[in-house]
Amino acid sequence: MDKKSYTPYMFIAPHLILFIIFFGIPAVFGIVISFTKWNILGTPEWVGLKNYAEILSDSSSTFYTQFHIGIKNTLLFTLFSVPFCIIVPLLLACALNTKTKGQKIFQSIFYLPTLFSISSVILAWGFLFNKNFGPINRMLGNSINWGGIQPYTWIAIVIITVWWYIGGNMVIYQAALAGVPIDMYEAASLDGAGAITKFFKITLPSIKNQIAYTLVITTIAQLNIYGQPLMFSKGGPANSTSVLLMYIKQTAFGSGESIAGIASAMAVMLGLCIIFVASLQFYFLREKA
Amino acid sequence: MNKKLKSIVCVAVTAISLVAMVGCGSKSSSETAATSAKSSDNEIVLWTPLAGPDGDTMTAMIDDYNKTNPKYKVKHVPIQENDLYSKLPSVVSSGKEVPDLTIVHAERIPLFVKNDMLVPYDDAIAKDGNNIKEENYLKEGWRVGQVNDKRYGIPLDVHTYITYYNPDLLAKYGPHVLDDNVITMDEVKEVGEAAKKDGIAAIGVDWMRVMTLAWIGQLGGDITSDGTKPTVDTPQAEKALKTMKDFVDQKIATQDGDDPQQLFKTNKLVFWPEGIWMRNGFKDSDVNWKMTNFITFDKSKLLNWSSSHNFVMFKNPARDEAKQQGVIDFLKWMGNNSIKWATEAGQNPASMAVQNSPEFAKEPQAFLAKNPDALHVFNYQYYGYVAEALDKIVLDTVFGKMEIKDGLTQAQKEVEDRIANGK
Repeated sequence: MDKKSYTPYMFIAPHLILFIIFFGIPAVFGIVISFTKWNILGTPEWVGLKNYAEILSDSSSTFYTQFHIGIKNTLLFTLFSVPFCIIVPLLLACALNTKTKGQKIFQSIFYLPTLFSISSVILAWGFLFNKNFGPINRMLGNSINWGGIQPYTWIAIVIITVWWYIGGNMVIYQAALAGVPIDMYEAASLDGAGAITKFFKITLPSIKNQIAYTLVITTIAQLNIYGQPLMFSKGGPANSTSVLLMYIKQTAFGSGESIAGIASAMAVMLGLCIIFVASLQFYFLREKA
Repeated sequence: MNKKLKSIVCVAVTAISLVAMVGCGSKSSSETAATSAKSSDNEIVLWTPLAGPDGDTMTAMIDDYNKTNPKYKVKHVPIQENDLYSKLPSVVSSGKEVPDLTIVHAERIPLFVKNDMLVPYDDAIAKDGNNIKEENYLKEGWRVGQVNDKRYGIPLDVHTYITYYNPDLLAKYGPHVLDDNVITMDEVKEVGEAAKKDGIAAIGVDWMRVMTLAWIGQLGGDITSDGTKPTVDTPQAEKALKTMKDFVDQKIATQDGDDPQQLFKTNKLVFWPEGIWMRNGFKDSDVNWKMTNFITFDKSKLLNWSSSHNFVMFKNPARDEAKQQGVIDFLKWMGNNSIKWATEAGQNPASMAVQNSPEFAKEPQAFLAKNPDALHVFNYQYYGYVAEALDKIVLDTVFGKMEIKDGLTQAQKEVEDRIANGK
């Protein structure tokens, strides 16, 4: 092998090795397990497509019900949260881009929640949303049961998620906005364009690639929702916030014996769902571009 | 950049990355050394699910033991409960870095035995001269460590879900309730009717899973008919949930979204069902509190839901007979010296030496010693499935978001399906 042929591989080697160890092997292992009956301890027993048949077509099975409730709630949450996870950071980035006084401080404040663990985020928001003693109910002058009645539970979970998620997307938009030439705005001003026109005609088209990228990664991230409903509403009320990862985790690593085959089949279906949604987004965004 | 330089840079970047990865790997191993079960020749590694303040108390007790210069010193490795139970199957099946000794919740022992993960103590106890024996421990703690006539667990405690009450509020709304030292459901109703006029609830809807289980037991029910078949959907379960739902509807119990702990701490709740281990939460509170047995349907039948921390030995090829004797020595010491577990962690040690000591008699949870038969651990091999199935329905049924019968049918079906699909 001459130098030319192996040089590119050496450049991609670090990432490739990490990818294979931490994603490739576990993913293949998970797919194989989904065709077995296994409790993690003994030897897996090959059952073919039985696990998939159970979760996809056996409507009398608990796992069928849980899979369908889980996937429905996961998709609902994604639908509710993604628009806000894009729009709110974008507006904040635009506001910070005006270079107002204290911009760096606000940037740090907005970015800070991203650094917190989900446990501390829920602990803080759980207090804020507390029915009896929470400041939010005090301000609103009522006693809403945020964790136990819909649509308040979804509203609270989306607010928590957006607050937690602002930082990551905001810095991407800030970097993108910094690259938009200032003379375009000046020219538009001379032509009599207002702030809203400039936003839709200059800002958005200029950073459309970054918006497309954040849309895809945010959707993937939200489809993996787990900690917020688990800790804030415990999947309730009446299973309305029980998301698929909660069922997968409990089936594979719950208090009882592991049912790893069915949990893996559910996880594979979630993976396929994520791939499908992400591909769809890529397709439409590429068409527009 | 010329070709030679490009190649050098390329090789250097890859090499640095690999070194960094290996470095990360080594760092990670050393970081996890805290959780590693690799023990030296004269050390017993003890894994426990005591990752909170209880873990600090356990570490302090183990420090006391190590000061006695035992042949095998004990190294305490507290691990967050979920992580511990997720980790155990993989380490035991690999046979590598298995802890020498582990504290587990007793209701998990039957499943560990079914999966052939544990080593019985019988031979080691016999070799030591049968110094570890039934009469040295609380009956319920000892019972749950035995499966199929073999002893797999030695109890540290029997920790129980009881009733905290506010004596000031009780004096106002139900002064005669504790004349017989028992709180019945009828008395809760009576107190609730009197207290609700002042916006005060009688009973907190707290950890409904264990509250329901305790009431099922009091009403003569169980979660299994024969040790294998689950019985979740029973008339007893229905009655327990219906009674609590009626309390909620009549505003005798706390309402959906209420925080019973905060209400109790602010003198707005008379009876707060909780675990004995929660008493340390009152350290910074001004509320006047006492504790007694869990609320009962029938005053002649007390039953307090309990669990028990048990010391077990998972199969470990590296643990030889000498180290096993070291484990026995440690357990004997713990049996006689676990008073801190009561005074500092607020727990109910299983050791009769502690139960009978004057120091323990001063503790608020010492009332449990008067009714040891009321302590009940549901050590059904599929307890985990039952617990998770109940968790999904108990609050929703009590707060009227799901019909009680539908909820119990769902829970029964879930447990049956999970058993059928388990291996």
